[in-house]
Amino acid sequence: MDAISTEALTKHYHVGFWRPRPYVALDALTLRVGQGEVFGFLGPNGAGKTTTLKLLMQLIFPTSGRAEILGRPAGDVGVRRRIGYLPENPYFYDYLTAEELLGYFAGLFGYRAAERRRRVSALLDEVGIGAERRLQLRKFSKGMLQRVGIAQALVNDPDVVFFDEPMSGLDPLGRREIRELILRLRDRGCTVFFSSHVLSDAETLCSRVAIVAGGRLAAAGDLSELLAFQIRAWELVVSGVGETSLERARAAGDVTRVTALGAQRFALEVPLSADPLRVMNHLKTHGGQLVSLNPVRETLEDFFVRQIAAAPANRGLEPVAR
Amino acid sequence: MRFPAVLLILLMGGVIGLQAVHERRGGVPAVDTPDMLYVRSPEAMRRLALSYRSVLADVYWIRAVQHYGSTRLSNDPNAKYDLLYPLLDLTTSLDPRFNVAYLFGALFLAGPPPGGPGRTDLAIALLEKGLQAQPDKWEFAENIGFVHYWWRQDYPEAAAWFTRAAEMPGGPFWLKSMAAVTLAEGGRRDSSRVLWQEIAKSDLEGLRNEAQRRLAQLDAMDQIDQLQAAADGFERQVGRPVADWDDLRRAGYLRGFPADPTGTPYRIQSGRVTLDETSRLHPLPVQPAG
Amino acid sequence: MRMIGHVAVNVFKESVRDKVLYNLVAFAVLLIVVSYLLGQLTAGQDVKIIKDLGLAAIATFCLFIAVFIGIGLVWKEVERRSIYSLLSKPIRRSEFILGKYAGLVLTLLVNVSIMTAAFYAVLAYLDTQFAESVRAGWPAPATDPGMLKAIVLIFVELMLVTAVALFLSTFSSPFLSAALTFGLWIVGHFNADLRNFEAVVESRPAAYLARGLYYVLPNFAAFDVKAQVVHSLPVPSSYVATTAAYGGVYVSLLLTAAVMVFSRRDFK
Repeated sequence: MDAISTEALTKHYHVGFWRPRPYVALDALTLRVGQGEVFGFLGPNGAGKTTTLKLLMQLIFPTSGRAEILGRPAGDVGVRRRIGYLPENPYFYDYLTAEELLGYFAGLFGYRAAERRRRVSALLDEVGIGAERRLQLRKFSKGMLQRVGIAQALVNDPDVVFFDEPMSGLDPLGRREIRELILRLRDRGCTVFFSSHVLSDAETLCSRVAIVAGGRLAAAGDLSELLAFQIRAWELVVSGVGETSLERARAAGDVTRVTALGAQRFALEVPLSADPLRVMNHLKTHGGQLVSLNPVRETLEDFFVRQIAAAPANRGLEPVAR
Repeated sequence: MRFPAVLLILLMGGVIGLQAVHERRGGVPAVDTPDMLYVRSPEAMRRLALSYRSVLADVYWIRAVQHYGSTRLSNDPNAKYDLLYPLLDLTTSLDPRFNVAYLFGALFLAGPPPGGPGRTDLAIALLEKGLQAQPDKWEFAENIGFVHYWWRQDYPEAAAWFTRAAEMPGGPFWLKSMAAVTLAEGGRRDSSRVLWQEIAKSDLEGLRNEAQRRLAQLDAMDQIDQLQAAADGFERQVGRPVADWDDLRRAGYLRGFPADPTGTPYRIQSGRVTLDETSRLHPLPVQPAG
Repeated sequence: MRMIGHVAVNVFKESVRDKVLYNLVAFAVLLIVVSYLLGQLTAGQDVKIIKDLGLAAIATFCLFIAVFIGIGLVWKEVERRSIYSLLSKPIRRSEFILGKYAGLVLTLLVNVSIMTAAFYAVLAYLDTQFAESVRAGWPAPATDPGMLKAIVLIFVELMLVTAVALFLSTFSSPFLSAALTFGLWIVGHFNADLRNFEAVVESRPAAYLARGLYYVLPNFAAFDVKAQVVHSLPVPSSYVATTAAYGGVYVSLLLTAAVMVFSRRDFK
């Protein structure tokens, strides 16, 4: 059973009062997330990431299509006992303290008083909130609110967690802590589905990703697979050559970048349009020696930018002749 | 840091000063009609009051009292009690059972100038309005009787109201006595006699004795009138006032010694017949002149 | 049920921390000041004015609480988006609405109870200030338990106002909700006039419309027996029961509508 699955999940909004025009927030999203995965849901602002998460939480209702969590329909109340959700820019009741907020949510799950206290205390420790837990939330900074948000998502030891921009508002130290927390969750067998536009986080954490842009799914799959055949360029490391020999190669357009690694040792970037073996042979005639030849793979960012560029610009529905 | 505080104090002083100037100049420029009443129609007021009728009635009552008090205490010769009745009318329309407003309001209205507007007609109208809402409230009937008795000197009317009040549920029995006394003082002895004869049938011995005493008083008053008529006739005939009973006997107006129903002889002096002060019937009810 | 209780307690906590209960201080001060001044201002022969004022103040203070908290009950959570995390928990949308309602009603119950206690305390004190003969002339004793009937109906009225405010809060902004709630409350007091419209108006359709509205609009005037209890006029228990039942049914209607609206809503 998949942890999360969607089937042609679609959401249209109607914009404008007098003659409402449809706006496609999400167009036929189909994806699957297996149990125990750390899944990155990536895309630029306005791509439909938050819309997807809200549809999964049934905060909004789909125009068409289906979504399931752990085999149950997304709106099922029972399945919510086993999930946790961190909304984007979370806001909670500012007249409560952090402890009280978590205690309130824990109460909704039906834990008894002693169990509630234990969980609340442990969670606040885990997300790094110390003595501030007795302060009212109105006094919390954005970063601290974010941590509280993560804590409240975990209050019931969920099997699936949904994080919308989990790193937002955190300083580098905080980001590392949360990264480690997500890994701990994975180790516990929890499925982590998070949306982000910070690609480096996805690169370090995720096993699988999906990229949405313009309301549509641009790509989805194993990270390594997605980037596997996307060779951007070659890296040719040579030794025993001088600058002048390289100049000719550069002038010919065969080498786009030269990095000095040491005395007469250079790393050359050879674009795909050129043939690295030819360059090597040329340098050999000048006394150069091959040290290594490796493909330079696309980073996620390169991949990302390429997908976005191909995304549809028009978010309206195709006009249909009536 | 000092400057804003000083500025605040100065400005506050300015505000207070200007308010004093406003006050000294006489406040808002005068209007022809006194507009203490934003709404004149009681019916409209009832509508607007929503569920606050009683509280509004209280407010209008307080205003009525204030209006009465301030007009009474004012040195302005033009100050009149113009708003008194309208305010009381509004009060009692909003709360038809506001007993204090009826009772005291009538008192305020009936009092003669300068202590009040002297409007006994309005006082009675107010109390009759109260009777419409509570037809069995004897206090209102009694008060109407009192207005007739005290300010209008309309004794038959007063006695009629006292009797009505006595017949209402809870009306005290002594109101009947009061009716009877009022009639006597008003010169209507025969009606008074009828009333006392009723009371003489009472179960209460004290009341019976009192009724009999009163009836004896009425008889005495009749007898004194007759004797006085004889004495006046003697004076016209002989040309001088009666000096003692012998005068009358010699003149043929009298036989024997006239005595009141308790047996105490009447006295006559300088032509006036009176009851002896030692008589048990003394003092007789006073009959006001005219 | 448990969910409703949790949400309700949370609403109560919010009201307390928003210092709503400070209105009780204002209420107490008002009663005390007025009872002192009364002796100075009027030919005060009885406690009628204090009774009138106390009952009206209980009704009015709590009316404002019901409206101003009621209109924000749902709207605030949606606007501030605290509802996102709440609805991801195993709580139904209907339980959320009912819990919010129960919480405000609980707040009002505490408020009314404390006010009633203070009210009776002031009356008990005033009772000692009058001579026996004067007190004998009063239609009802100062600490007349009959006034509780009026207070019970005031409370049911408040429950109805809260339900109106909550229903509006599920889809409308606070300003509009406040205006509509107060508007309905005012119109609900003119019910008698609606009924008698046909006597005043020529056009039959207008009369029918008025009659229809008379039946449909909440009849707030029916809950007002304040004048009756102050004058010790009879208010049968059956009247209290049927009027309370009317309130209860209307509340259920509004809550059902609120749940319906809220269950279909997209939280953009």
